[in-house]
Amino acid sequence: MDEANAMDLPGHGRPVAQPFNPWPAVILIAMICLAFLFLAPTIGVLLSSIKTTREIALGELWTVPAALYLGNYVEVLSNPAVHRYLVNTLLVTVPATAASIGLGTLAGYVFAKMPFRGGNLLFLVIVSGMFFPPQAILIPLFRLFNVVGLIDTLWPIILVHTALGIPICTLLMRNFFATVPNALRESAILEGANEWQVLTRVALPLSLPALAVLATLQFTWIWNDFLWPLIFTQSDEKRTIMIGLVNLSGQYSVAYGVQGALSLVASLPTLFVFLFFQRYFIKGMTMGAVKG
Amino acid sequence: MQRENTFWRIVFLALPLSVFAVLVIWPLASSFFYSFTNWNGFSSDYDFVGFRNFAKIYTDKLFLNAIINTAVWMVAAIVLPTLLGLGLALLIDSHVPGGQVFKSIFYLPICLSAVVVGQIWIWIYQPDWGLLNTAIGFVTGEPLNYAWLAKPNTALGSVIVAWSWQQTGLSMVIYLAGLTAIPEDLLEACDLEGASAWQRIRFVVVPLLTPATVVVIALSVINSLKGFDILFIMTGGGPFNSSDTLAMHMYNESFKKYLTGYGSAISVVLFLIAITVIGIYFRQLKKVDEIYG
Repeated sequence: MDEANAMDLPGHGRPVAQPFNPWPAVILIAMICLAFLFLAPTIGVLLSSIKTTREIALGELWTVPAALYLGNYVEVLSNPAVHRYLVNTLLVTVPATAASIGLGTLAGYVFAKMPFRGGNLLFLVIVSGMFFPPQAILIPLFRLFNVVGLIDTLWPIILVHTALGIPICTLLMRNFFATVPNALRESAILEGANEWQVLTRVALPLSLPALAVLATLQFTWIWNDFLWPLIFTQSDEKRTIMIGLVNLSGQYSVAYGVQGALSLVASLPTLFVFLFFQRYFIKGMTMGAVKG
Repeated sequence: MQRENTFWRIVFLALPLSVFAVLVIWPLASSFFYSFTNWNGFSSDYDFVGFRNFAKIYTDKLFLNAIINTAVWMVAAIVLPTLLGLGLALLIDSHVPGGQVFKSIFYLPICLSAVVVGQIWIWIYQPDWGLLNTAIGFVTGEPLNYAWLAKPNTALGSVIVAWSWQQTGLSMVIYLAGLTAIPEDLLEACDLEGASAWQRIRFVVVPLLTPATVVVIALSVINSLKGFDILFIMTGGGPFNSSDTLAMHMYNESFKKYLTGYGSAISVVLFLIAITVIGIYFRQLKKVDEIYG
């Protein structure tokens, strides 16, 4: 009956007529304190971004400002370098997200629906790619792209993120395709469909949640990445937003308000993805956690 | 039919496999190769030096320092977010009002980048007006000007706290997913048998969460090994290399000192550590699987 007391007091059993149970209230207060602690860093940045440099210089970085000041955002959004960084990041993130999911879908379909000798081993090799520290492949990749003249372009970042996304995309798509009944595929094939048609018309439409999960993961991870653009690009023209953020924080070294606004602008796309896809993301995690 | 299947397998696998082979497997093999050379990263010729790069590891004090820091970093980066995430998940699962809101709040930092998280926490640790010193000063009544990130004693720990702040939401979400998979009647049975809340959590809930723990720890290992960005942003491995990890050391040797051959040797060691940790972990996992079916 009283299922709200998952955190009941130890040793309290289940008295028939308990006059007052303080635990739900204690838990709620504890949660509010924890939530405040967790939010404080983010709120601090938000508050700083709507203050003038003068207010911040007076030691008011962490207080609520008397008036809303949007000058920092004007400064950030009118900076052509910021536009360039954002466009570059988009040009990397969208193709790499799409390509890694596409390739993972193809491989995942074969591993789930068309098993073959040695397939499991191959699958393990691909999935183990998730565990490789990027540093272990960094130097040869730098050399490869240097030889073909692609250093200081966006191409190496796109290609490497595509390749590094293949393990997680293959794993998730294989697990998801495994839940699609074999009978669906077989009846489609009996009706004359080929594997490509089964994949695109039968399996994929059923896999939208998995695709949403992967889109969330890959978009966030590629947008936020710092290491690969740091290695592969040199000129300011080709930098992505996360590198730009570091560069600009030097330029605006005492303008903390501008830095705060910049951090928020750089995080907006992933925040939006988070808000809109949160349900899918958690669903995906359920799949992963329950099915192992 | 059989032939047709083979045809489609090749069609579907050709592109993913070749991309993966060229951009992941081949570079990995090359790293092993370069680790036996004295290549400087840009010249076209280099000599084989046998195991000299690996021998150098033994005499490189900075390497030993980096190994220790990596171990501290990994253990803390696994234990802290896992325990915090489990605790938060249990609290939210106790049907606290506004659970959905709390979930989003704790989860929010995971969508921020290491650069942004680093920036935020640099402000928190800032000696003169940082939130931490301000809060401590407020509580104790004495102004504090401690430079958390600039002191060798606290630099690594401070970054670990920032990292845990970001990663906790991820383990919390996975634990919450695991909690929904626990049958309700099992928990009711616990109540009927007169188990206390602690006994229920300790002996029923946590063991049943083993699959979720497996996912959480695997993700933590993967993420902590990749935890280069946040250290790079917050401390750059300093002060006095006190927060220098293997990944950081490898970057400095390869891209600052142009000792690419030696850098490759470090990356090979890093790779072997990663594979060993993951290997041990999955062996344990098998045992757990056998116990819990």
